[in-house]
Amino acid sequence: MKLISKLLRKNTSTARIAGFVLSNFIGLAIIAGGLQFYVDARSLWASDDSFIKTDYLVVNKKVTASNLWDGGSSEFSANEIEDIKRQPWVRGVGGFSSTDYRVWASVDQGGRGMSTMLFFESIPDAFVDVKGADWQFREGDEIVPIIISKDYLTLYNFGFASSAGLPQMSENIMSGIPLTLSLSSEDGSRTKRMQGRVVGFSNRLNTILVPENFMQWSNSVLGAGKSEENPSRLIIDVSSPGDVAIKDYIDEHDLEVAGDKSGSSASYLLKVVTGIVLGVGMVITVLSFFILLLSMSLLMEKNRDKLHSLLMLGCPLKEVAAPYVRIVVAASVCACVLAVACVVVMRSCYVDALVGLGAETGGWWQGMLAAIVITVLIIIFNVISVSRKVKSSWR
Amino acid sequence: MIDKVETIELDGMLPRVFVSESIPPSDVWKTSLVFKRGCRYLVEAASGGGKSSLCSYIYGARIDYEGTLKFNGSDVSGIGINGWQRLRRNNLAYLPQELSLFPELTALQNIQLKNSLTNHVPETMIEEWLHELGIDSRRDYPVGRMSIGQQQRVGIIRAVCQPFDFILLDEPVSHLDEDNNRKAAKIIQEVADSQGAGIISTSVGNPLFLSDTINLRL
Repeated sequence: MKLISKLLRKNTSTARIAGFVLSNFIGLAIIAGGLQFYVDARSLWASDDSFIKTDYLVVNKKVTASNLWDGGSSEFSANEIEDIKRQPWVRGVGGFSSTDYRVWASVDQGGRGMSTMLFFESIPDAFVDVKGADWQFREGDEIVPIIISKDYLTLYNFGFASSAGLPQMSENIMSGIPLTLSLSSEDGSRTKRMQGRVVGFSNRLNTILVPENFMQWSNSVLGAGKSEENPSRLIIDVSSPGDVAIKDYIDEHDLEVAGDKSGSSASYLLKVVTGIVLGVGMVITVLSFFILLLSMSLLMEKNRDKLHSLLMLGCPLKEVAAPYVRIVVAASVCACVLAVACVVVMRSCYVDALVGLGAETGGWWQGMLAAIVITVLIIIFNVISVSRKVKSSWR
Repeated sequence: MIDKVETIELDGMLPRVFVSESIPPSDVWKTSLVFKRGCRYLVEAASGGGKSSLCSYIYGARIDYEGTLKFNGSDVSGIGINGWQRLRRNNLAYLPQELSLFPELTALQNIQLKNSLTNHVPETMIEEWLHELGIDSRRDYPVGRMSIGQQQRVGIIRAVCQPFDFILLDEPVSHLDEDNNRKAAKIIQEVADSQGAGIISTSVGNPLFLSDTINLRL
């Protein structure tokens, strides 16, 4: 069968085949590399333990002139909350409850007393990201656990403390300082004195948070009965933080997202960039596929008389197609192997950096699998095209 | 699947190009004709009479005809590409008028290419035939550099390098002298007889010197 190969490979253009291998390699490397990077970097926002925490959104209505002066409300009605719950990207919704009484907090530190008016808010416990045995309150307890925004500590340390000549505090020191809380009802008729203790600092919750059951108890004891009011801030557990639908919904309903938005932007950006990269890779791959298809067609067209003569001799169709199938397979496999090798090298360059950022890198084989699947498809389509061309030369 | 082609039947067959023309009386076209395995047929005609067409139709290379063509009584239109390829390897040998040799291959390579499909003929036999037809000194020459007469002899040897029930020879000796004609006829008859095969040979006045032929006029 060497003679058949010798006959049919005449007119083979090495330059065209090399052109295919190069372009297919580039296309496959971009697709496989992009996909591999996406798989590896995805955990940066998908994992619960990562530093980009975006599973929860805190939203409120925009404060505008109309809801200030026209009696419009910045609260969410039951209907509005129901509507949010119905959105496909929502896993759960919780409302912020606030105190219905006054709170004064004072610190006595080495004789230098300091006191300030405060507020508390609470959200359903399921949404709290600093949990533990400390996050408990039972009726009769003297100590109220509190979670404050990390931003407040930063504001104190770098804004207030340095200008007021007060000592800076670490999270640990802050947690150790007893806060004296004076709670009093609006009219001052009922009061309570309690101890407050900071048990955690949240990146995500831009508030001063107390346990939900403390809020219910204290409002029932000290409140003026307004605690049934609708919440003005909601915490939403979302299934995919980078989803465009979320942004559209937020814009459409004039809402604002509070807290850390960088994560969702980053994840959205990563998806968009991955999409663009994969798109570019796909275009290059499709073009390279056509280069191979046209090269083989041209080659077979040039050798059409020989194909016909071989078939007239009674050569089986498979044997006549074999030299071309071998070129297709060899060139495609060559491009695939180069692309996979390229991705392996690329991955070894970035994987340490990603792990350093806290990513749980995905499997190493996804990019490779994509390259192999695309290569198999390219081979199948070209083999079909070669077979059809051989058949068309038969009569 | 056809094991042996015992008969080739032409029933009212006519090349489409002749349909609107009046053709002279013919033993082949628009008649009922049966070619039997083991018999020798000499089909003679003026040029343009459709000899090459007849061979192409029987070999499955063309289908531009009216009427029906049957092998062993069944219509050939039911035979697919792979079926025809099998027939061409095992049942039908064909030497086209234009020879269809590969000019860049040597005489021996051209013959081996065909023989490699079935390995029907031993190498020594090929060498012997090359010697008999006086082209053994040219066996390693590219066919493209040989004379038409030499190429015709290469084509004849290639045609018999397979098992067959019928061999179709389209003006096989048009460029051969009488001596080579006789030698070629001897080889072809021997090979055909050893398999009990039929021979269908065409000519425009320089027929292959076969013995005991049934002569047909196109």
